[in-house]
Amino acid sequence: MSKGESSVGALSCWVAAAVFAAGIVHLAVNLRAVQVTGAADYNYASARQSVRRVQTAGLRGRILGRGGEVLAGNRPSLSIVCLPASFEERSWSNTVGAIRRGIDKVGAEIGLRPALSEKAISRHVSQSLALPLFVWRDVGEREIAVFSERELEFPGFAVVETAERTYPCGALASHVVGYVGRDKGESQAGDEKFSYFTPEMRGRAGLESYYDGFLRGVPGERKLVVDARGFAIRGWTVVDSQPGPDLVTTLDLRVQRAAERQLRGERGACVVMDPRNGEVLALASAPGFDLNAFVPVLSPSTYARYTDDPAKPLLNRASGGAYAPGSTFKPVTALAALLAGYPSDEEYFCTGSFACGGMTLHCMSRWGHGPIDMRHALMKSCNPFFCNIALDIGTNAFCAAAQSLGIGSRTGLDLGVDRAGVLPDGEWKMRTYGERWYPGDLAQISIGQGMLLATPLQMACVVGAIGTGRLVTPHLRRDAPVESKPLPFSDEQLQVVRDGMRMVIAGEGTVRGTGWRAGDGVGVPVSGKTGTAEVGVGERRRKNAWFVAYAPSDAPTAAIALVVENGESGGITAAPKAGEVLKAIFGGTGT
Amino acid sequence: MTFLKRFDWLMFAAMAALVAAGTVAIWSAGNARAETVFHGMWASNLATAAVGLALYFALAAVDYRRTLDFLSLPGYVASLVFLVAVLVFGTSVYGGRRWLWFFQPSEVSKLFVIALVAWLFGRRRVPALDIPVDGFRSFLLLSAAVGAPMLLILAEPDLGTALTLVPAVVVMAFAAGVWRRGLVTIAAVGGIAALLVLGAVYEAERPGVSAERRELILRYVPLKPHQVRRVKVFLFPETDVTGAGYNLRQAKISIGSGGLTGKGIGRGETNHLKYLPQAISMNDFIFCVWAEETGFVGSAVLLALFAAVLACGCRAALVSQDGRGRLLALGVSTLVFAHVYVNIAMSIGIVPITGLPLPFISSGRTFLVTVMCGLGLIQSVTIHREEQLA
Repeated sequence: MSKGESSVGALSCWVAAAVFAAGIVHLAVNLRAVQVTGAADYNYASARQSVRRVQTAGLRGRILGRGGEVLAGNRPSLSIVCLPASFEERSWSNTVGAIRRGIDKVGAEIGLRPALSEKAISRHVSQSLALPLFVWRDVGEREIAVFSERELEFPGFAVVETAERTYPCGALASHVVGYVGRDKGESQAGDEKFSYFTPEMRGRAGLESYYDGFLRGVPGERKLVVDARGFAIRGWTVVDSQPGPDLVTTLDLRVQRAAERQLRGERGACVVMDPRNGEVLALASAPGFDLNAFVPVLSPSTYARYTDDPAKPLLNRASGGAYAPGSTFKPVTALAALLAGYPSDEEYFCTGSFACGGMTLHCMSRWGHGPIDMRHALMKSCNPFFCNIALDIGTNAFCAAAQSLGIGSRTGLDLGVDRAGVLPDGEWKMRTYGERWYPGDLAQISIGQGMLLATPLQMACVVGAIGTGRLVTPHLRRDAPVESKPLPFSDEQLQVVRDGMRMVIAGEGTVRGTGWRAGDGVGVPVSGKTGTAEVGVGERRRKNAWFVAYAPSDAPTAAIALVVENGESGGITAAPKAGEVLKAIFGGTGT
Repeated sequence: MTFLKRFDWLMFAAMAALVAAGTVAIWSAGNARAETVFHGMWASNLATAAVGLALYFALAAVDYRRTLDFLSLPGYVASLVFLVAVLVFGTSVYGGRRWLWFFQPSEVSKLFVIALVAWLFGRRRVPALDIPVDGFRSFLLLSAAVGAPMLLILAEPDLGTALTLVPAVVVMAFAAGVWRRGLVTIAAVGGIAALLVLGAVYEAERPGVSAERRELILRYVPLKPHQVRRVKVFLFPETDVTGAGYNLRQAKISIGSGGLTGKGIGRGETNHLKYLPQAISMNDFIFCVWAEETGFVGSAVLLALFAAVLACGCRAALVSQDGRGRLLALGVSTLVFAHVYVNIAMSIGIVPITGLPLPFISSGRTFLVTVMCGLGLIQSVTIHREEQLA
């Protein structure tokens, strides 16, 4: 080694250089594997942890009357929301506290009461952090104006427009239209890919509930980018939501209004339908309720007022109220007897009462109608006559005929509320009361009393079927298919009953029928039947006044059933009210 | 002017480019943090680089032999004093006492150890003691000189920093020819011991091993629980992605999702959405930020710049006519290489996660100044390559 040459060999330098080069190449190769070959996988992993999919609710379809009148629609609603990302703190509890303080501040400044509990905020932070928190829903114009003016003072708060349900007709047809509640959207089958669902309106009663799936819009999709803690950083719409279709109903608002006017101040119900196709023109129940009280949310006090009211305004009496139909049931008894071979012209001697196994039923006519045939028995509503023919044919024949007219089974109405009522027989009584069936029971139900129960809707179907000869399934959706089934009765048999019912209104000669008030001024011939059902015993004994009819008598286009609780009698209380409704349909005088 | 004529412009340009890249990465990582104090971190990094640059030129201008003669021993002793002081007065960060006032003595001491080793073993005989470099006594001297600061750094505790000294010292010792036979033996024993530890952790942590057996094996493994965890994440990266493996998983997602060309400067999602651990995104995980935003192209550029720096270091060693110069250039280059390799390799799971900064890119001020001084010394070796008359 010559002088001046290093004691450290050059080889070391080359070895070091080689090691460095190998190391750098090793890194380059591995980085290429991660960044080029693996890029797709890591991109997916990155997106999966930072992108949330949100299902957005579509605008709910409207509910319309048959003439296109809006019964349930949508209106724009402004809400003040809080964006949690603006209140991020290190700890979750501090974040919740910061949001709450922000809400308190905004509330105090623009005069809105804090609407959310600490618990609700906390739940939002832990479950739906990436979504805006709705603090005040459906805020009034004045508050929105104040807020917008000073928006810069309220960072993290914003006004958003959503849709609220609105019911332009208020309480009209409230039991039919129904109302909606706000639902946290839930995962449908195949929707597991979504992380969040925006709150959606869900039908809770009436058509809103029955046709919920039809009315609901087609959901859209939004994507949100969230940070490591779950705060939303930005979002964009992937698929726009689509509004749901409108539901056109069969309701004729003119008729519906007339029916509700007649029931004002009463407890009762009125059903009008077209017996040819089952279209329900009016379905009224009184008392009703204001549908707009349910928007944006039903206040607990209003709900309590509705549920505590002994008049039960939320109950749909028209299709969900089961009443003893009283004498309006007599046409059914008459048809059952005719079907069993009872001669239509045979006279029965009415003494004013009917004794049967230890009990006595009284007739409307205190001293009896004397000799009376079926037509006149219907006209005069003779109780002993119908008790007699029912006992004559027996329970089985009676029940079979009643069943053929839909008594004891649901009508098939496209509404959640559709009670079957009760058509009792021996087996039913044994099952329900543990007692055997007596002939007196049959005598009772033959005149629509006792254990027999039917809804006004069922009675409207029955009376319509008598008028047309076919039993239709009532429906509320305009484009629902028409369904009907034939009756087991012959035209001659039906004609006997039709004659009797015609006489109930028109009378005979100078003698008035029991329901004459219903035909007064309608303009078309009306056939019907009155009924006065006695319910309860002793102190709580009261009378429900009924009237059922179809018109015009020879080619019916309307069938009506009307009941008023605690009325005087069918003829005095119910018949004139039904007459007014019929005038509304046929344009008679005095509407 | 020999200074300007021999000045290694390539190495200087590569260094400047690396500092610029680092400033950009720090800007992006700082902006992602909620605390506004970090938003200006890039500016303070530039200020630190200015200080480093001043020292760089000073060290480059002065003959490194003079620097070594005057500074290596006193500087080494001073760094030992600081290492003791940091254990007594230091500020505790993330469970280790590493900070003294505004700097980390352990980072500075790396350079002084390298300088001392170069000064002691760069000639045929050790100065002052006058013992032959290739003898056993030299080995004892080397062990003592390197062992003292390493033990003090281990006491902080900072295993990663302590271990980065090893490759530099080993390379220098081999190059200087200090007791080669013994060194080979020790290296072999050390390698076998490391493999045994790795094997033991593998045997203890592999799926389906009973708790008692795991306990029994780990009792004989000389690692702390958090170190065992890191080795486990290295061996089984997919086992615990929300716990100990979270950092590695997020680091890999960052780098991998950068793809070929990256997401754009300042637009790295895992960084800005805070999936990348915030506490270390500016320091140990800064490469993830860079790689995510500039993609494989950016990573390759960074590797090329490092390669240029290392090549210049090797060239400096090669052209130097002096053993001290060669050792100095090799030592500093190896230190830089070890940091670069371990830092990037741990980010993609090739080596266990260790808290090591990436030279010129991470935001550590002490380390930036230290590495720039190291490059200044290499520059000096290039410029003053010939033996000068004393």
